[in-house]
Amino acid sequence: MSDLLLFQLRRVGRNRQYLFFTVLLPALFTIFFTQVFGQQASSAAQYQDYARSYMVSMMAYGAIGAALGATVRLSFDRASGWLRQLRVMPVPGSTVLAVDIMVGALLVLPSLIVVAVVGRIVNDVQLPVSSWLGLVGALWLGSVVFVALGLLLGLALEEQAAGGATGICSTVLAALGGLWVPIQVFPEGLATVGRLLPSYWYAELGRGVAEGGPPPFAAVLVVTAFTAAFAAVALAVARRRPLLAVAG
Amino acid sequence: MPSAPALDVRGLTIRYGDTLAVADLDLRIPTGQTVALLGPNGAGKSSAVNACLGLLRPAAGSVSVLGRPPSAAVLSGCVGAMLQHGGLPSQTRVGEVLRLVRGRYPDPWPLDDLTAVTGIDGLLTRPVDALSGGQRQRVLLALALAGAPPLLVLDEPTAAMDVAGRQTFWQTMRRLAGSGHTIVFATHHLEEAEAVADRVVVVSGGRVVADGSTASVTSAVAGRTVRFRCPGPRDRLHELPGVTAVVDAGALVELATTDAEATLRALLSSHGALPDLEVRGTSLEQAFLHLTGAGR
Repeated sequence: MSDLLLFQLRRVGRNRQYLFFTVLLPALFTIFFTQVFGQQASSAAQYQDYARSYMVSMMAYGAIGAALGATVRLSFDRASGWLRQLRVMPVPGSTVLAVDIMVGALLVLPSLIVVAVVGRIVNDVQLPVSSWLGLVGALWLGSVVFVALGLLLGLALEEQAAGGATGICSTVLAALGGLWVPIQVFPEGLATVGRLLPSYWYAELGRGVAEGGPPPFAAVLVVTAFTAAFAAVALAVARRRPLLAVAG
Repeated sequence: MPSAPALDVRGLTIRYGDTLAVADLDLRIPTGQTVALLGPNGAGKSSAVNACLGLLRPAAGSVSVLGRPPSAAVLSGCVGAMLQHGGLPSQTRVGEVLRLVRGRYPDPWPLDDLTAVTGIDGLLTRPVDALSGGQRQRVLLALALAGAPPLLVLDEPTAAMDVAGRQTFWQTMRRLAGSGHTIVFATHHLEEAEAVADRVVVVSGGRVVADGSTASVTSAVAGRTVRFRCPGPRDRLHELPGVTAVVDAGALVELATTDAEATLRALLSSHGALPDLEVRGTSLEQAFLHLTGAGR
């Protein structure tokens, strides 16, 4: 399995646009918005709150893009015929799927770590070591919900639709989930919509841990429920639509 | 007890919704044979091939590949396949794909020889996305051969190749057949079947309509049509040597013949001049009609 895993990681690693949108862009946002709005803070404690919260949002944003972007590739590999090719070689279908899940999970890490490092060094976010580790760990584990969503999109959609759908999904999840602008400043109706999204609860999960507490129970529950739902639908789609292009 | 046949297909039936693609097809291919599955587009060749590779679940019947169910045979690495709709992964280099695939087989084909045989030695560092159509086909062939599998299954392998590419390809296939590989390939080119196969199975309408040595099948389908302007009487033309049918085409007449040379000799001696003479190969479609009896 490790051969296929390395092979797939190399392929994504070569994609500069992917790296830009999932690692560099969230890191730049973290710096820019914290420097701009953080200066309006009236006290050091307020600045810390803002900088920490925004850093967690950007970690979540990068992780969503990374997880969706890595897994939606399934649809590209199906369109090119590569999945079909794999089926006539000694590579079990379960290995192909397992590797894609691992690739999604692993590629979330650079976004999380780079944004955290930028937050610490550039924006001077102060957290105990245990909170740093807990934060990265919680957001890493929680990102499974977006890996599942990406697999679902990759399995269900055609190549042309999948790329666009991923972009729209990550934008909607980020904007309405309060990752760009905090949900607290949303109008009431929009805030209600935001609280229905997994992205909001995913970031809440990170914020709870970053503040030094245990993972918020509601966030764990919602993220787990969304993961189960996405995975169930993805499996149902995979069963109805095997990993190959239909051809006579 | 003799070893299991390379392919043992019994009563294979494949449906797409209401369409019957393969209808109760029986086919047994012993190891070591080179067999062409010959048929027009839509004959059910690809469906049968895909079922033999475990890509399609048949509605009825059974397929056994070297004594095993198709997917087990594929996973064990004793089958190499070139698909009609197979493809290569984007954002990789040829050498990387080849290394991955070779590593999956218990006893892979030595790399130097593999690249030489398939003609891709210069392409290993090339990005997959920069390959031409013919180069892609050669890389796909290399993937099919990567495990040095005893059974090769090829679905219209030369579809994207130019003439030179085809020639090299079939030379390679002849060499492999000579070294004991079992090769089963689907094609709609009679010449390809003739050039390589020692057995030809003609598939039409999802059934086997002819099965025999290449010589016997091709002579049955490889007739010629002789056409010329014929103002005179035509009632004795069917008595000419080789002629199997006489078709009235207005001022022209068309003779179907199994021996164009003998027919022409006889015509020239009896008619002297043959204005607007044209000799053509019978198209495969005509030949299939002939074989299936629909043309009579």
